[in-house]
Amino acid sequence: MAAYFDDDDLAHFGELEKHHPALWAHWMKYYGAAFEAGVLTKREKILVGFAVALTEKCPYCIHSYTAQAQSAGLTMEHLAEAAHATASLRAGITMAHALVAHNVDQKTGM
Amino acid sequence: MSARPPVKLTSLASRASPLAAPDAQRATLRALPLAREFDAALASAGLHPLRPTGVDVLQVNVGRVCNQTCRHCHVDAGPDRRESMSRETMEHCLAALARTAIPTVDITGGAPEMNPHFRWFVREVRALGRHVIDRCNLTITDTPSHRDLPEFFAEQRVEVVCSLPHYLPTMTDRQRGDGVFERSIRALQRLNALGYGDGRSGLRVVLVANPVGAFTIADQEEMEAEFRRALAARHGVVFDQLFCLTNMPISRYLEWLVESGNLGRYVEALANAFNPAAAAGVMCRSTLSVGWDGALYDCDFNQMLAMPVDARAPQNVRDFDLGALAARAIATDRHCYGCTAGAGSSCGGATS
Repeated sequence: MAAYFDDDDLAHFGELEKHHPALWAHWMKYYGAAFEAGVLTKREKILVGFAVALTEKCPYCIHSYTAQAQSAGLTMEHLAEAAHATASLRAGITMAHALVAHNVDQKTGM
Repeated sequence: MSARPPVKLTSLASRASPLAAPDAQRATLRALPLAREFDAALASAGLHPLRPTGVDVLQVNVGRVCNQTCRHCHVDAGPDRRESMSRETMEHCLAALARTAIPTVDITGGAPEMNPHFRWFVREVRALGRHVIDRCNLTITDTPSHRDLPEFFAEQRVEVVCSLPHYLPTMTDRQRGDGVFERSIRALQRLNALGYGDGRSGLRVVLVANPVGAFTIADQEEMEAEFRRALAARHGVVFDQLFCLTNMPISRYLEWLVESGNLGRYVEALANAFNPAAAAGVMCRSTLSVGWDGALYDCDFNQMLAMPVDARAPQNVRDFDLGALAARAIATDRHCYGCTAGAGSSCGGATS
């Protein structure tokens, strides 16, 4: 294998279908439906996808959702705001986890 | 991955770039490995050879002179170009109109307003009772000899179709040049002050958004809603409609695609997104294009690629014959994938 996370990989992502067509079809149907416009617009859902791609650190998804964002008229200015919102929440989550330490200390400290 | 190339401030022609030659552009596209040719895609949709449905729009390209040098320009227009339609050729256009009932004349360029006979031509077309569309770059209204254009447009009830790739300044300036966004907004505000875009005056102003990069716009309606919201909130600007156009892989946009390493994937993506419904509605079926020298083409893109109408049809507007033109087969090549991808693309926006 030449490299992990090659940017040509996305073009043959669909080859995974052959290993379990039935489950693949279920997932594709769910995935497609979940990203259709509903109460949220497609643009809003693309930004949700982009934020998840960042936190999950998936290069394929970051590439894919950036391309989708471009096609939806979103720019790096939009994506930068989304990235900062995502990053700040991650920082907030770190701080929130510090509550566990705080609680332990409250309970066991003197 | 390549960085953004520096903005080219001159035309391909003035730089004697190899891509200034239409044959070189077509050869560059033909060298790409594509799964099928455009004509095969048309055949799969039962549309080959592509035939016109009539002539609803006479699109007259009155010249390649422009006050801007946009990166994506398919005309390779700019201040250094000299091609400009003569009054005699315009008279041939008027004679052709007078012999037919073609309802709309779409005037384009370059900056069409820089043609010295532009206003005379508009008045003559209006006197024939035809609807006039002017494809305006907006900043021309901010130049000394054209400041009264908005008033002229309103007086002649010209529909103004103007370029604004994005509601964010950085995106617009990146494609069209520094400061273009701000000047464009000022022009739109002046048009709005005259009643353009208010939905009541009958004065129509339409925005045209070209993607700023190697991608296409997925949803014209959603984009229009976003433009409407952002331009109203940020600048108090209103408009009637937004057209999303796909950048055609020719001329200066082709040069950018080559230099940025995006050409192969972009054209492949267009070809893979071939949509039979969009193909059935392509503008070349209902539009006839006239070059600055009177030569006839199926569309403005074919004009820039020096692909004239079917050899069996009249070749110049002075020999205009609607019946003979109706029987022609429309000339196609790989660039045509730009009009048939996804929801389709035309001078009137999406086609399906």
